[in-house]
Amino acid sequence: MKIIILKNNLKVGLEAISRVVGENTNTTLPILKNFLIETIDNKIKLSATNLELAITSFIPGKVVEKGGLTIPFNIFNSIINNLQTERINLEVKDNNLIIKTDNYQAKIQGTKKEEFPIIPQINKNKLFFKIPISLFKKSLLSLAPAAQISEIRPELNGILFNFQLNFLKLVATDSFRLAEKNITNNQFESDLKQGFKVIIPLKTTQEIIRIFKEDENKLDVYFDQNQVFLKTENLEIISRLINGEFPDYQAIIPQSFETEIILKKEEVINALKLTGSFTDKLNEIKIIIKEKAKNIEIQSSNQTIGENQYLIPAKIKGQPLEIVFNWRFLLEGIKTLDSEDVFIGLNGDNKPALIKSPADISYFYILMPIKSA
Amino acid sequence: MELNQLWQSALAELEIQISRPNFLTWLKNSQLIKKDEDGRAVIGLANSFAKEWVENKYHKIVFEVLRSLDETIKKIEYTVLVEQKEAFKESLNKKAESFRQSSLPELKIDPESGLHPKHSLDSFVVGSSNELAYAAALAVVKNVGKKYNPLFVYGGTGLGKTHLIQAAGNEIKNRYKNKIKVKYVPSEKFVNDVVWAIRNKRMEDIKNKYRNIDVLIIDDIQFIGGKERSEEEFFHTFNVLHENNKQIIISSDRPPAAIPTLEERLRSRFEGGMIADITYPDYEMRFAIIKTKLQEKNVALSDEICELIANKVQRNIRELEGILNKIIFYQEVKNIEPTLKVIEEIINNIVQQSSKNITSNQIVKAVADFYEITVNDLIDRSRKKGVVEPRQITAFLLRDLINMSYPDIGEKIGKRDHTTAIYAYEKISQEINKNQKLNQKIILIKESIYKN
Repeated sequence: MKIIILKNNLKVGLEAISRVVGENTNTTLPILKNFLIETIDNKIKLSATNLELAITSFIPGKVVEKGGLTIPFNIFNSIINNLQTERINLEVKDNNLIIKTDNYQAKIQGTKKEEFPIIPQINKNKLFFKIPISLFKKSLLSLAPAAQISEIRPELNGILFNFQLNFLKLVATDSFRLAEKNITNNQFESDLKQGFKVIIPLKTTQEIIRIFKEDENKLDVYFDQNQVFLKTENLEIISRLINGEFPDYQAIIPQSFETEIILKKEEVINALKLTGSFTDKLNEIKIIIKEKAKNIEIQSSNQTIGENQYLIPAKIKGQPLEIVFNWRFLLEGIKTLDSEDVFIGLNGDNKPALIKSPADISYFYILMPIKSA
Repeated sequence: MELNQLWQSALAELEIQISRPNFLTWLKNSQLIKKDEDGRAVIGLANSFAKEWVENKYHKIVFEVLRSLDETIKKIEYTVLVEQKEAFKESLNKKAESFRQSSLPELKIDPESGLHPKHSLDSFVVGSSNELAYAAALAVVKNVGKKYNPLFVYGGTGLGKTHLIQAAGNEIKNRYKNKIKVKYVPSEKFVNDVVWAIRNKRMEDIKNKYRNIDVLIIDDIQFIGGKERSEEEFFHTFNVLHENNKQIIISSDRPPAAIPTLEERLRSRFEGGMIADITYPDYEMRFAIIKTKLQEKNVALSDEICELIANKVQRNIRELEGILNKIIFYQEVKNIEPTLKVIEEIINNIVQQSSKNITSNQIVKAVADFYEITVNDLIDRSRKKGVVEPRQITAFLLRDLINMSYPDIGEKIGKRDHTTAIYAYEKISQEINKNQKLNQKIILIKESIYKN
């Protein structure tokens, strides 16, 4: 193999595969610390895998001679990052990779590409849909606060893709909160004839958010029984799915509220940050809602610091209430909304609260309060 | 040769031929799934990477090894095992949260069986009040569908019916490694399902849903009484399951004979199996329950405190847990072990919450009603036999529930001296820890007071 490549192009490609190979904890098979560089037609293909998910990125470059080799990722990556020149020559000779620029030369020992795991393929006729990347990323990001590893049913640490003919529902929960995003079928294309539900591992969704850039237009998504495959022109991810049943969360979603408040988003965010600074490890803030009041009060205290209160103008409907939350959880939920106002629906001090934009029915965030004594 | 044995010997040979890391990576957790008559063998591998690798790189040696062990094999196919459930090994950062941060309750429930994993037989405290029900549940777990069918458990609220029947379900699930399909439904859910099915003309769905299970657990069956279509549907489901020796476990707050709206044919079927009751726990058992709960929550409290709680809280175990939670909260926030006085305050707060609106007349009337005597008999000066006990109980309750002063109590129960009131109160206080029957009577009277 002999190629000439621009440093910035190579960096983009390496960045995409970096997490899979760089943070690989599978130590039984040493070759998983390597990535595969090879030529495909007139492009250069970089692949890495941890056997649970594989990322492939395609980068432009001049192919002088075809071929491929696997090389240790970390050393190669740090060399490329520290090179000053733009043009880089790469050449494979007897399982060695020779890196050459105007003023630098290195030889890295590699392993022949036949030793590298074969990245599984997916039957492209199966379960397909196409979705704008920006929408998809935004949807996944809106679930991010609730997409944390939870102790409850740890085998299900993934995001539910509930695909029906007229909508796609994405759901995440860490058992303290739950977020659901609903995408209607006019926002994606699909040739699916029937609905299905799969769970995509959190690690995979994090990589999806990280590597796909918004300038790339649409994302093609394929599923089969065990795997999901996502691709754009320059990037491909294949990941296994989690086989399990997502908890039946419908019963948790509150249908009506004893207390409803509407507030300005910026104001709440500010109030939470300010009162949050008074809390200790427990992150507890108390919200006081009084009947017929024009404000709600957020207060927090700390034995060693002191205490503070913040008043926020609010539209209040229903019962008065005092309720305690982890302010970080509350803030994370409110931050993901993109409206000016925030709706919070409550049912007493020990039932889940529902947070959403007043006008938007496509997204909600449910949060459990902290038990008050 | 058995599939598993055959594959184990094949693996033993493959292990020699393939380097250790490769063997561990690609062939660990593999299985020989089946072998057809025409010589086709199917091998299941841990993930799709392993499938690609073995199929492309090791096919020849796998084939040779298998052939040498079993000549009938002519062809090998590979597939990915679907059972693997574990998430990514490299877990993301897990944050520790305060134990008071509540979690969304329904998420813990296993969606397939509807069981909550926290209910286990191990955490079920057994005492004289529930040993029959416990033994029956154990017998059912050991002989699913054969021994006691149906098993009917009844008892008052907060005494552990749901815990027991869910624990039985969990135990069956675990013991038989999911080979036995367990389904837990509150009867309310069953009724909702039936209503939904009628509205959507989908009765077939209901039939399929409930008749294809091996163990059906229905909680609080009394709510089904009077709902005709649900009763009928349940009756047929019951028959289908029962005829096929499927286990049925039912709970209720009263025995079948005492559910007024229940149809006769259902009642007779419930009575055809084993009926076990759960009654109120005695002092020792309450003490044991407190100890168990503390262990579950990983908190320590002194025996003195536990004794006090066991003494004070008699009505229901759920309330007992509520009080424990408060005490633990106190301990966490203040970082000191609460004094007996504080505990008493906490308990009184909870008890007072429910007794806020109780008047002395209500108590007197409830006792009189319970013993079927008139209020006048009770507060009379007469020393008729049969009114002594009610009178002492009245004194006890007046003191215990609304904290009336002894002279006032004496006044109330027939213009007696305050020492009589003290004597009555102390006598009953001691008696309830020894005399189970008396304790239950008092609990029933209290219940009737709270109900009104």
